[in-house]
Order: sequence, then structure tokens, then C-alpha cells
Amino acid sequence: MRVFQMQRISAIALVVFLTIHMIVVHYPPFHIDFDQIIIRMADPLWKAIDIVFLFFVLVHALAGAWVVLTDVQRFSRLKRAFAGAAIVIGLIAFYYGTKTILAFQPPV
Amino acid sequence: MSNPSTHPTATVRIQRFNPETDAKPHMQEFQVELKPGVTVLDALHEIKTHQDGSLTFRRSCRHAICGSCAMHVNGKNELVCNAPLKDRLDRNGRITIRPLPYLPIIKDLVVDRSSFWEQYLRVKPWLMPPADTPEKEFRMSPEEVAALNSAETCIMCGACYSSCQIVGLTKEYIGPHALLKAFLRVMDPRDAIPGARLADLDGADGVYRCRTIFNCIDACPKNLNPTLAIETLRKLAQKREAFEQARIERQKHLDEPIPAR
Amino acid sequence: MYTSSGFISFALRRLTGVALVVYLFMHLWVIGSVNAGPEAFDARLAFVQQPLFKLLEVALLAAVVYHAVDGIRIMVVHYTGITEYRKSMFYAVLAVSTLLVIAGGVPIIRFMLEG
Repeated sequence: MRVFQMQRISAIALVVFLTIHMIVVHYPPFHIDFDQIIIRMADPLWKAIDIVFLFFVLVHALAGAWVVLTDVQRFSRLKRAFAGAAIVIGLIAFYYGTKTILAFQPPV
Repeated sequence: MSNPSTHPTATVRIQRFNPETDAKPHMQEFQVELKPGVTVLDALHEIKTHQDGSLTFRRSCRHAICGSCAMHVNGKNELVCNAPLKDRLDRNGRITIRPLPYLPIIKDLVVDRSSFWEQYLRVKPWLMPPADTPEKEFRMSPEEVAALNSAETCIMCGACYSSCQIVGLTKEYIGPHALLKAFLRVMDPRDAIPGARLADLDGADGVYRCRTIFNCIDACPKNLNPTLAIETLRKLAQKREAFEQARIERQKHLDEPIPAR
Repeated sequence: MYTSSGFISFALRRLTGVALVVYLFMHLWVIGSVNAGPEAFDARLAFVQQPLFKLLEVALLAAVVYHAVDGIRIMVVHYTGITEYRKSMFYAVLAVSTLLVIAGGVPIIRFMLEG
């Protein structure tokens, strides 16, 4: 799949997920602390939604950064190196982010 | 008896650059008389003939058909030969003329267009006729002709190419002018290789490099629409096989009359 | 330099995009503190809930909203091929973004002032 299509598909997904995220998590604004988040995050469905959200955010952000860099002619011969770096960063960030989402458990 | 001083004057600011003496471009102001019917190109000629013979610019036909005199006037690319000087003056009676942006300057208002032509040749801008051409004539429907009309009046002036910020970032981009020409050939029912053309354009330097900035539409002196051509090519590239097959079918009937609907 | 509404939208989209990539990794780092336990999480969140960060949050909201609405505009162009109304569509994007930022930003500022 082309980066162009990746950007468009993840963009459509983000419009949906980000709207949910903004309304549910940040509206109206409040002091965020662990206990309040736990109530919502206790539901496995929210964990699943957040993991999918994380996936699309990382795809969109890293593909976007790659496009911004490789649009510059002097970086275009590094496009494979940048793509490799983006995939590695994406995998690490996805692992770390998933671990974080799963860590929202009521303290035992 | 006409007195030349009765005409108001216009201030023409021109970006000058002589590679033999200048480190970088600088602006120079000239005063020209604002006679009725004077174009921006006439003003440049007036300056070159009577004020500064070293002023360098390209022009040829003066009828907006050769594509030589595209320049950056008041922040917009246009042909100076059919731009009335009076309409281009700001309220202080000034006009600013620079060479086409994002291209290497050779001297004054002349830019190096080699990347423009290299990218143009890259899309094979000529028609590839089918192996067995009709004996008499090709028959085309009004719809097919209309599609060609939307692209064939391009005069290769470079206004769209040098208005594109992506061209400014990378000269590897095929560019709006060449993509519009490729669109013209792909849409032509006489062309035998639309599939190969679409495959060539279907890359990071082709239709997917366009960032939909629309400068090419604004810049085109012939009111063509390279952005829409690129959008169309992007869609056609995704159904390349089907499009190619439809063209093969179409070319079996090139010499037959178009059935009435 | 060739300025036009198209270029301004392109430049803003790139700038907000790069800013949001930077923010994303900061966000992951802040929320990631939950791995070290609830106390670490609350401590790091308290740091980023100071008034200065509330103002930055409005800027963040503006960046997200502009980037999203402009992205929708680009997608509309892709799927409908509308190029004639390019300027109007850009101004519509600015208007819609402004309204959404006001709708989201006013509660943030009010919350900041009232504590």
C-alpha cells in the first residue's frame, strides 16, 4: 500500500477516533487523576478502542513525518533509511503505548 | 503636437542579477511612461531600449502563444505580453517583476528551465498511435474531444511549474505541466499505451507527490486545471488494468462512426 | 516565494502536523508514567496541569482542529474533484476551525481561571 493511501485511510480513522477521544476524555475539562481514568478504562472495550486509536495515530504521525522529510530533495536518497527508522520507532512506541494502556488497572 | 510629459509615469521594480558581477539578486527601479494600451512586456522593452540595454528577459511572439515571457509579476506568475501595465500597478503606481520562482536564475529575468523540460520528456509527451491506424480518419465522440480540450491548449510557459511549492522543494517531482500533458495522452482514444503511462506516473515522484496546493490553476494563463488532471490520473492509476482493457476495445472501432444516443 | 491561500493551508498543515508529531511522543511519555505506578502518574500529570500548560492546550486544540478540518477539505477535493471553490473552501476551513476552537477553548480557559 502506498504512503498516500495509508495517510488517507488513517486520517479518516483519526477523525472518528479523535472526536471520540476529545469528547469522552477531555470534555468538559477536569483535573485528571488516576482514579477518574480507572473508572472508564476498567472496560476492556475502551482499552481496545484506545489501542486501535494508538495504532492509527502512529501510522499517521510517522507516515506524515516521513512525507514531510522526503519532500525535500536532499533527503530523498535517505528515504529507505527514514522508512526503516519510522517502522522501528513505530513498533517501539506501539509496544510502549499498549503496555501503558493495559497498565490502567485498579491497584491490587 | 504631443508632449511626452503629459503621460503619467509608472515605477517598474525589476529584480536584477548578473552572475558575473553580483553575489545575489537585487531590486532596481525604472520609470516608464504610462501610455494607453501598454503591456508589462512593452514596459520591459522600453527600459531595455532607452534606459538600460543590459536588462535581460525572454520574449518572442507577444501574442500569449509562445510561452516565453512567463514572469513573476506582483507575486503571481503570468505572461507579461498580455498583461496590461495599468492593471498591474498598485496604488503608488508601482509594479514588481521577478523571474519565475524556484528555478535557478541565469541572468535578470531569465531562468534555467532544464528541469522543466527534463520532466516533460520523462512522461513521453508524444502520441503513441495504435499499430493498425484507420485508413481514412480517427472518429472521436464529443466527450472524448472535450476531455482533450481541457488540456491541449497548454503553451509550455512554465508558469504552473514554477508556482508549485513542491517543485521548489524537490526537482524530482514530475510537475503539473508534464502531468497535464500525460493526462492529455492518457485520455486520448488514439493513444495505445495508457497502461504503461499510468504505471510510470503511479509513483512517489508522479501523481502522489501533488499536495493539492492549487497554485498551478491560479498561475495558468490558459485557464487549464492541472490539479484536476492529477486527481483524475490518481484515480485512473488505481484501475489501470480495466482502463487499459477499455482502450484496447475502443481502438477496435476507431474508424467507425460514433453511434448516436 | 509564491503565496496563495493554497500555500498558506499547505504550510499550516505541515507546521501543525510536525507540532502534533512532537506532541504525540510527549503525550506517550507523560501517560507512560503510569507504568511506574499511580503516584508517578499523578505527579507527572500535576506538572502538566499548571496554568501555562492549559494555554498550550488551547494551542494544541487549535492545531488538531485545523489539521483535521483541512484534511477533510483535501479529502473532499480528492473524492469530488472540486477545484473551482478552492478559496472559499479554505476560508470555510478557517471559519469551522475557529468555531470549534472557541467551543473547546472557552471551557479550558474557564476551567483554568476557576481552578
